[in-house]
Amino acid sequence: MRRSLSYFWRIQLAVLLSAAVATAVLTGALLVGDSVRGSLRDLTLDRLGRIDYALISERFFREELATDLSHKLENEAQFHRETVPAILLNGTAVNAKTKARASRVQIQGIDKRFADLWEGASGQDAPSLEKQPGQLFPSVHINQSLQNELSIKVGEQLLLSFERHSDIHREFLLGHRDSSEVLQTLRLTVAQILPDRGISSFGLRPNQSRPLNAYVPLSVLQKALGSEAKVNAIFASAASPNSADLTTADALPALQNRLNQALKLEDLGLILRHVSPDSIGGVGYLSLESTQFLLKPDIIEAARAVAIERRTLSLPILTYLANTIAANERTIPYSTITGLDTQRAFSLELIDGSAVPPLADDEILLNEWAAIDLGAEVGDEINVSYYIVGPREKLLTRGAQFRLKGVVAIKGLAADRGLTPKFPGIHEADDMSEWNAPFPIDLNRIRPKDEVYWDLFRATPKAFVSDRTAQQLWRSRFGDLTAIQIRTVLGADLQTTQTNFQRRLLDKIRPEQVGLVFQPVKADGLAAATGSTDFSSLFIGFSLFLILSAALLVGLLFRLGIEQRASEIGVLLATGYPISTVRRRFIKEGGLIAGIGGLIGLGGGVVYAWLLMAGLRTWWLAAVETPFLSLHIHPLSLVLGYLIALVVVLFSIGWTVRQLGKVPIPTLIAGGSGASRLSNQSSVVHTRTQILAFASLGLALSLTIFAVASETTVSVGLFFGSGVLLLIAGLAFFAIWLRSGGRASNPPRPPVTVQMGIKNSGRHPGRSMLCAALVGCACFVIVAVGANRHVERKQGEVLQKTSGTGRFALVAESDIPLHHDLNSREGQFELGFSESDSDATANTEIFSFRLLPGEDASCLNLYRPQKPRILGASTDFIERGGFQFQGTIVAQESPWELLEDELEPGVIPAIGDYNSAQWILHLGLGDELSIQDESGEELRLRLVGVLQRSIFQSELLISEANFKKHFPSQSGYAYFLIQTPSIADSAAFSESTEQIGHTLERALDDYGLDVTSTTERLASYRAVENTYLSTFQTLGGLGLLLGTLGLGIVLLRNVIERSGELATLRAFGFRRATLSLMLLWENGFLLLVGILIGTVSALIAVTPHLTTPGIQVPWVSLMMTLVSVFLVGVAASAIAVYFALRRPLLSGLKHDA
Amino acid sequence: MYQRIPEPMNSLKVSDIYKNFGTETQPIEVLRGVSFEMVQGESLAITGPSGSGKSTLLHLIGTLERPSSGQIEINGADPFGLPEPQLARFRNRGIGFVFQDHHLLPQYSVWENVLIPTMAFNNRDGDAENRARELLERVGLVHRLNHRPGELSGGERQRVAVARALINQPSLTLCDEPTGNLDRSTADEVSSLLFELHQAEQNILIVVTHSLELASRFERRFELEAGRCAEV
Repeated sequence: MRRSLSYFWRIQLAVLLSAAVATAVLTGALLVGDSVRGSLRDLTLDRLGRIDYALISERFFREELATDLSHKLENEAQFHRETVPAILLNGTAVNAKTKARASRVQIQGIDKRFADLWEGASGQDAPSLEKQPGQLFPSVHINQSLQNELSIKVGEQLLLSFERHSDIHREFLLGHRDSSEVLQTLRLTVAQILPDRGISSFGLRPNQSRPLNAYVPLSVLQKALGSEAKVNAIFASAASPNSADLTTADALPALQNRLNQALKLEDLGLILRHVSPDSIGGVGYLSLESTQFLLKPDIIEAARAVAIERRTLSLPILTYLANTIAANERTIPYSTITGLDTQRAFSLELIDGSAVPPLADDEILLNEWAAIDLGAEVGDEINVSYYIVGPREKLLTRGAQFRLKGVVAIKGLAADRGLTPKFPGIHEADDMSEWNAPFPIDLNRIRPKDEVYWDLFRATPKAFVSDRTAQQLWRSRFGDLTAIQIRTVLGADLQTTQTNFQRRLLDKIRPEQVGLVFQPVKADGLAAATGSTDFSSLFIGFSLFLILSAALLVGLLFRLGIEQRASEIGVLLATGYPISTVRRRFIKEGGLIAGIGGLIGLGGGVVYAWLLMAGLRTWWLAAVETPFLSLHIHPLSLVLGYLIALVVVLFSIGWTVRQLGKVPIPTLIAGGSGASRLSNQSSVVHTRTQILAFASLGLALSLTIFAVASETTVSVGLFFGSGVLLLIAGLAFFAIWLRSGGRASNPPRPPVTVQMGIKNSGRHPGRSMLCAALVGCACFVIVAVGANRHVERKQGEVLQKTSGTGRFALVAESDIPLHHDLNSREGQFELGFSESDSDATANTEIFSFRLLPGEDASCLNLYRPQKPRILGASTDFIERGGFQFQGTIVAQESPWELLEDELEPGVIPAIGDYNSAQWILHLGLGDELSIQDESGEELRLRLVGVLQRSIFQSELLISEANFKKHFPSQSGYAYFLIQTPSIADSAAFSESTEQIGHTLERALDDYGLDVTSTTERLASYRAVENTYLSTFQTLGGLGLLLGTLGLGIVLLRNVIERSGELATLRAFGFRRATLSLMLLWENGFLLLVGILIGTVSALIAVTPHLTTPGIQVPWVSLMMTLVSVFLVGVAASAIAVYFALRRPLLSGLKHDA
Repeated sequence: MYQRIPEPMNSLKVSDIYKNFGTETQPIEVLRGVSFEMVQGESLAITGPSGSGKSTLLHLIGTLERPSSGQIEINGADPFGLPEPQLARFRNRGIGFVFQDHHLLPQYSVWENVLIPTMAFNNRDGDAENRARELLERVGLVHRLNHRPGELSGGERQRVAVARALINQPSLTLCDEPTGNLDRSTADEVSSLLFELHQAEQNILIVVTHSLELASRFERRFELEAGRCAEV
């Protein structure tokens, strides 16, 4: 074998190099996957430091909870003892000097404990947030990314705007929605700019783009928020320093259990008020209330269960604000009314000392003061008017009519001011006229006697209705009750009852129900780092042509090597060697060469992967959106790449060797051109080819006819199938022509070089087919992929309601949710629009969406999103419709209405973009994505419709009703689609749209509104797709180049084999140039046929795309690519011809000298 | 620069031809001072042992190779003075070849193979096609007009090769072992055909052969040995 290898070293070296290329490409592709995953993993570990678990809550809780939890973790070996409290907010940063603005800034309120989580992790010193002597404003540290946005220097002032904390839901009657109450701005001095790594890259959401981070001293942020000693986040670490282990998720229940033990009612936003008998002149009791004003059903249920368990009496209370209590043409303004079960009420009695009677639904009790004020007597009609929160969170005035049942004395329960929960802006006011109420209030209606009542009784209810009536009139999605009163257990004092009740209640309430839940952020991040897209498969796909070309080249070269040694094989067989022995010998040789080539290829694979990574960091940056990608080499990938490539190459060699047995021994002994019969087809194969050709053509035509008659969504697949079948049919017909071409009686006509070249292409049908098929397949891919490249579209697309923009010209997002109607002048006024701003946005229609923050579900996020962003679509939007649906779970005229369908419990309908659902979330129509709702319950989003290339690629949409039901604490609107007035002139439209965008951004800059054109948004998604296509085309092009090299080798071999023929032609007077041209035409013809078949088939395959209105196909670049393919092929042929004809042709004629 | 293409040859003069081939060890002198002359209508057989330079001499006469020294005059002119394209045209018009391996083009039919030489300079026309048909008739293969070489026997292939050699009515027909691959009866058949056509065409016929039997049928015979030529 050694002699064979050394004697035929040239051809063996060529085989070896081809095997090396195949291994390098395959291994390189696998390493790209490793590298992307490894880089994402590095980014995750870098941005999380030692943080393994994070508790992020919508509500604020005690900072001390972290300390309490630390104590509880003392005996838990799997956790690091220290837990770290912090405040995490989103907001906007403004350079105070230049007014440069950056939205989507992560504002972190931290102290040294937080910085310690990165101590030594990335060689960074923990940032010190201490205020320097002489420094006017508190310090802020920002990361380099934010600095890049603001161009701010150390020592300069920075304004941070964020949402002011509110326990009470902003959409509740008593919720503050005014800008002055919602927004908070903090002026700070930039103390340090941190490089974009380690702590400064902190972010909980897996995304490869660096966040914009600002770090503020925890105490400063607490003070600014009015939440002293409170935080909304706790971070915990696993005990093991190597906490990158995914099993950290397994320890989560233990951590959550310890959290349960550390919690206090205060952390849940609950107050167990101790009402002593002395304070109300009656029986003492406990009152369970919420800092959010209303108690949620879960809490109520738990409290009732504890009360039953403790055998205590409980009394549900719902107190509401009445705008007016009227009777006898007299009115009392702004009073509270309490709904309760009068039969179970403690120490509530009528003015005559008798027990309070039971109340029917239309009966009411007034307190003594109110009855006197209204001059009302039992049996009088009492009218009550009040606000309710209507659709779009608008306040609507409603009324109810009652009959006065009795008058209660202001003592005992009726004297309990606590029946009306404390409400910031009202309860601390000295006078009613000083109320800072979030609802419209007419101060002129407040009389001196009302002020007297306020001075004496504050917000003590002036009336009582039955609990049933109160529930019917005033219960809402924000809660059912304002309090539950608990009586002392018989024989126990109030303090003991309170202690026991509190403990049991905490046991009953799962912290998840109030959103206090630890997430295994590192484990989740690392799981997400496996990526939404398998880059190994992707790049194997991209490199497929390269791999196939290399494998073909191996087979081709090996085959040439065998043909070169055909005589040797013939002699071996003639002398009695069994064919199996000969085959084994060649396979061994081939295996050895492939093995060595593969080992060399491993090195090449690393280089190839490095080059691809360099490409992803630069030319193809749009596909990954991060330059932080580095080469990661996993030994397993090297082994896998080596073995797969070896198998592919050995298969190629084995297939070639297998042909040996089919050639007659004399032919082998004759060697030379006789050995070319290795490629000759049998008549069976010929018949099969004919069947294949006609069947493919017939099927292709049927599919095309069917596709023309089908819907767009179906026709896409049908046309593509038709294109592929046409490719097969075209190549099969060409194979038939190659075999039968030339049998025609008409001899070639001038120009002779063309005619003879074409004729000669049938000399070796197998080889010619290989060339044409390779080029045909490559061109099919190039054209099909190239035609699908998206180019910027014109205004036409924006103006079409069924396009990806839905006829919305702009899309906007705000850091702080908006609570006012952007389409009304009043709403705009409340949000701070000037008259000119309102005028500028007149005739603009804005559709607002609720937004549940989550992970970007689009192709812009390399991580695999586990909790995607969710939008709540309003009824108005659903009625409006628009966008193109790729498919729906059931056919419906208005597909958006599917969002309002009632599904089984725990399942709600959702709509998403097809690309994101299919490729990123890996969801098909009817599939479900499981998430947790606000109370920690599983919520399944069923995909009922998918949109075609829409602007909704980063999120899933559900109905606003479902959004409010399952995420009730999320308030306001943070995502907007803006429909600007239509203008026929494209330039004028763009200018007007841009102007509207600027106006909105300026008017709402405190809310961090960021407006983008929908075409830009779509373009950013398309950029990813286009970059992938570019990558594919580039690597496909490299494959074609390698394939072309194969074509050159085929031609060279053809020429060498036919030296006798060519010499004969020379003898008959054919000039060298004529022969060169003839050979060039021969190969050029094969190239042209391949290009033609591939291109026509591809155009059929992408017909639906080409016929889409407004589509722009990059014809010029496609044509140039195809011309390049032809020219490169011809150039390779020319080189082969040059070398082949340089050989002395006469040797082909001689038998002796 | 324009150079005159010699008219169809009436005579052949080979004067003191030497031909060397370089090898890695030392040059091999294949022909050593071969000289002879022929006129129209003559036929010549060249015999000799393997390696004596028979085929090389034939290739030199056919202008396929250039002599190392000496001169070949065709109709009084040296064809090697012509530039490559004109030399090719001269060869196309004036010389017909028949090789031991027929070297027919397998992808072409019998008729097309015969017409191949007419296509070198695009001079295929109705006359050429008629002549091809006529030649095939004369070699007895008109019924195999549309067959491919792979479908013919060895003798048939060689007869096609003979017809191909004569398609341009050359003045000089050069045959290199035309019957070397054939059995005796087929060889007789082909050689008879050669003589028959030679008689009809009245050109100069030179045949290189190992067969003394075949050689004896020629008017003149040269024996080549160790590169030297002697008329027998």
